[in-house]
Amino acid sequence: MEEKISGIQKNYLDKITKASSLKELDEIFLEVFGKSGEITLLPKNFKNLSSDEKKTVGPLFNQVKQELEKTIGNRRQAVREESYSKLSKEEFDINSKTKISKREGHLHLATRFKEEIIELFEKLGFSQFDAPHIESEKYNFEDLNIPKDHPSRDMWDTLYIEPGKLLLRTHTSNFWPRLMKKKRTPLRAMSFDRCFRYEAVDARHSHTFNQFEIAVVGKAGEITMANLKYLSDYLLKGLLGKEAKSRFRPKYYPFVEPGVGIDCLCVFCHGKGCRICSGTGWFEIAGAGMIHPNVFKAAGLDPKKHSGLAWGFGPDRMLMIKYQIEDIRLFLEGDLKFLQGFNKP
Amino acid sequence: MKVSLSWLKELVDYQLTSEELANKLSLTSIGVKQQTEDYLELDLTYNRGDLLSLWGVAYEVSAITDAPLKFLGDIPDDYIWVGKNLPQVKVEIEEEKLCPVYCVAKIENLKVEHSDDTWIKKLSDSGMRSINNIADATNLIMLEYGQPMHAFSAKAIKNETIKVRVSKKGEMLKTLDNKVRKLEDDLLITDSESILGMAGVMGGKDSEISEDTTTILLEAAIFEPLSIRKTSKRHGLYSEASKRFQHGLTKIRLLQALDGAIKLYQTLGGTLTAITLKGDFGQVNKSINLSIQKTNSLFGVLLDEETITKALQKLNFDVNPKDADTLEITSPYFRKDIEIEEDVIEEVARIYGYEKIEARPLEGEKPEKLDQSLQNFIHDLKVSCKEAGLTEVQSYSFYSSETINDLRLTINDLVKIANPISSETEYMRTFIWPNLIEVVAKNIRAGFKQSFSSSKDIAVFEIGKIYQPASPDASLGGPTESYRLAIALMNGSDHPIDELLVIARNVMTKQSANMGEIATSPSAPRNDDLFHPTRFTDIKVDAKVVGTIAEVHPRFLNNFGIDKRVAILEINIEI
Repeated sequence: MEEKISGIQKNYLDKITKASSLKELDEIFLEVFGKSGEITLLPKNFKNLSSDEKKTVGPLFNQVKQELEKTIGNRRQAVREESYSKLSKEEFDINSKTKISKREGHLHLATRFKEEIIELFEKLGFSQFDAPHIESEKYNFEDLNIPKDHPSRDMWDTLYIEPGKLLLRTHTSNFWPRLMKKKRTPLRAMSFDRCFRYEAVDARHSHTFNQFEIAVVGKAGEITMANLKYLSDYLLKGLLGKEAKSRFRPKYYPFVEPGVGIDCLCVFCHGKGCRICSGTGWFEIAGAGMIHPNVFKAAGLDPKKHSGLAWGFGPDRMLMIKYQIEDIRLFLEGDLKFLQGFNKP
Repeated sequence: MKVSLSWLKELVDYQLTSEELANKLSLTSIGVKQQTEDYLELDLTYNRGDLLSLWGVAYEVSAITDAPLKFLGDIPDDYIWVGKNLPQVKVEIEEEKLCPVYCVAKIENLKVEHSDDTWIKKLSDSGMRSINNIADATNLIMLEYGQPMHAFSAKAIKNETIKVRVSKKGEMLKTLDNKVRKLEDDLLITDSESILGMAGVMGGKDSEISEDTTTILLEAAIFEPLSIRKTSKRHGLYSEASKRFQHGLTKIRLLQALDGAIKLYQTLGGTLTAITLKGDFGQVNKSINLSIQKTNSLFGVLLDEETITKALQKLNFDVNPKDADTLEITSPYFRKDIEIEEDVIEEVARIYGYEKIEARPLEGEKPEKLDQSLQNFIHDLKVSCKEAGLTEVQSYSFYSSETINDLRLTINDLVKIANPISSETEYMRTFIWPNLIEVVAKNIRAGFKQSFSSSKDIAVFEIGKIYQPASPDASLGGPTESYRLAIALMNGSDHPIDELLVIARNVMTKQSANMGEIATSPSAPRNDDLFHPTRFTDIKVDAKVVGTIAEVHPRFLNNFGIDKRVAILEINIEI
């Protein structure tokens, strides 16, 4: 048996050293470690050995097995490095007129959803205004009536770049103060963009997510909660169908007063209560309200002369509801089967 | 806050089922996180600190269900200590701002025992554990009135003197949870010699109620919310008490709670033998002018003076007409969140009913369109990429730790997150293409196969932001971010760059904006291990390099388990 093992060892070490391509090495690997590889099958014969023989054969076998594995690995690396060294001799035809393969392209589900929403609101005179992802505390918090050290800050678990100064924005709302300070009112603005929170990733949560947000500013007395209601229904009907409608509840956000939580009638059970809406007949979808006077003040606008509304919601969650997607990670983890599967919803 | 429903029924005579009450509260007052037959758990927001007490919840439930309150008769005209001429416990407050009022009552003749079943049920419905009758009494009072209390064992307090002061550097305290804590700028309760506890956050072990305690010093105070918040955070101690201090307390409720607590201890056989009330107990309730016209224009529903007045009176607001359009409003002492006219309007609106708002389209002047050129360009570019047969992916704005390693990046050249969730969210991406390589690898591992091709074919793109750290010269500002287009192509051949060049030219020439020119003669060879030494070229606008097309170095691909060649493009699209 010992001789047999040594024979295998010698034979394959030789073959491995002579191999000059990855393909050859793959073949050798199969011969040795494949289902009916020589090393794989060998232990079957050990049971006929005497216990003395076993004592020497066992360790020898393991040593040879490891040596072959390692040698193949090393040789593979060496073959690769050899091939890398030949790269500089490879040709490059920069003006090549190669034919393009015919492929079917796809836009990301979130992109198509964004287009749909943007188009809806462009019809009402809204323009997009996008604010930075890396934001100051001023625009992400302070100017939105969320002072430093205020307990309401606990509502946002924040990823900081420089604590007390710079952070990854926790909501798209940072666009309001940036836009309002330009003092070009009236305003109808919107943003569909990426936000960040300190949140561990699982099927329902992600540290990176999209938000869609609108802000409207007009003269004092002009913008009302009735407009907020109209825009909410407009969005829901536009995205989910005529039957969809909104429901308002009081909700606290420091940057609006009055504050509103918006629910959407469950389009699957028509409000009766089902598995998808956890039996409530409604989905919580957005936070909204009338812009707080302190937010106007921070932007240098006179709160006595202006009125405004805003709302924001999570399109990822809306998409998950609409298409019954169970795992939020699918949006950002590049699974092509998923991304291409939603071509024609 | 968990609201015990049987307890709430003792305070307000509402006629709804638990489920009906939960619905009513969530549509009119505050979200309900959990509803059971025994309790409702409120989704408490910062503004409604008053709902951290059963009294507060009872006031609210009474207002929204028109049910009578049952405890108003228990509110005394005169507090139990008035006219008794009791001796005082000595109290010194170092900084009034951090502790505007401090009360301490000495109660003797107590005996530590188990609490009876009604107390235990009230506590457990409220999510609290029974400890013993003396400690439970303080918790019951806190739950009912919202005012935290603390009972010190009187014999542990030297010279019967209490001081409220900020800790000095190096001081230590063993707290009730048996942990020794290093103090730093924390507000403390001490006696003439040693530290008794961290104000509003947690008591000290040495002054804990023990089995043989018969006399307690009962503390009821208001501490500055910010100071409590900082101490709570610093020591990771979040208690029912510290939560209430942070939301803010009122002096009137404090005195009512102290009165209630002394009476509760009397039912346990206790006797009040000394009391100190330190500080200014005057509380001025701010009045706010409410314009009827403004109410209607903000709410978007036309309400008359009577409707507005009735809604506010239900919530215990004082309403006095001032002129034809103005009502002078005074909020009840326990509604500290009512500060401006808009706050009052929200109260009117929710009591009248948010559901009665009728949708009305935006009117008035349509604003000038903002510059949409970047958004439109990105959109057009995405469509062109799709039409070129590419699939859009969106990847995280961070580099994975594997990528950082394989790119051999110097972390100083990256935007770093100060409090990353994990190593996967620690550094922000400076290029998109490495994330696309990960996408390619992931799909190979998942056995992804295109329907049209027998060989493995992956063609993806992403348009997104990359993030660059601040330059060492601080005057040039902080980190920057800009949009890039990145493409990765693995077409099964050993020269995918040829096809990518054709795709890139097609996509780029379709845009109305100038995306730059792809060089027509190869660049000088490079040797940085990231790209193929010869198969790469720059994309330039005039002489400025704005992008690169390259085959990724096979070594880099091998590290991700990719055997086939992959070509990438990455181009700055905000020039």
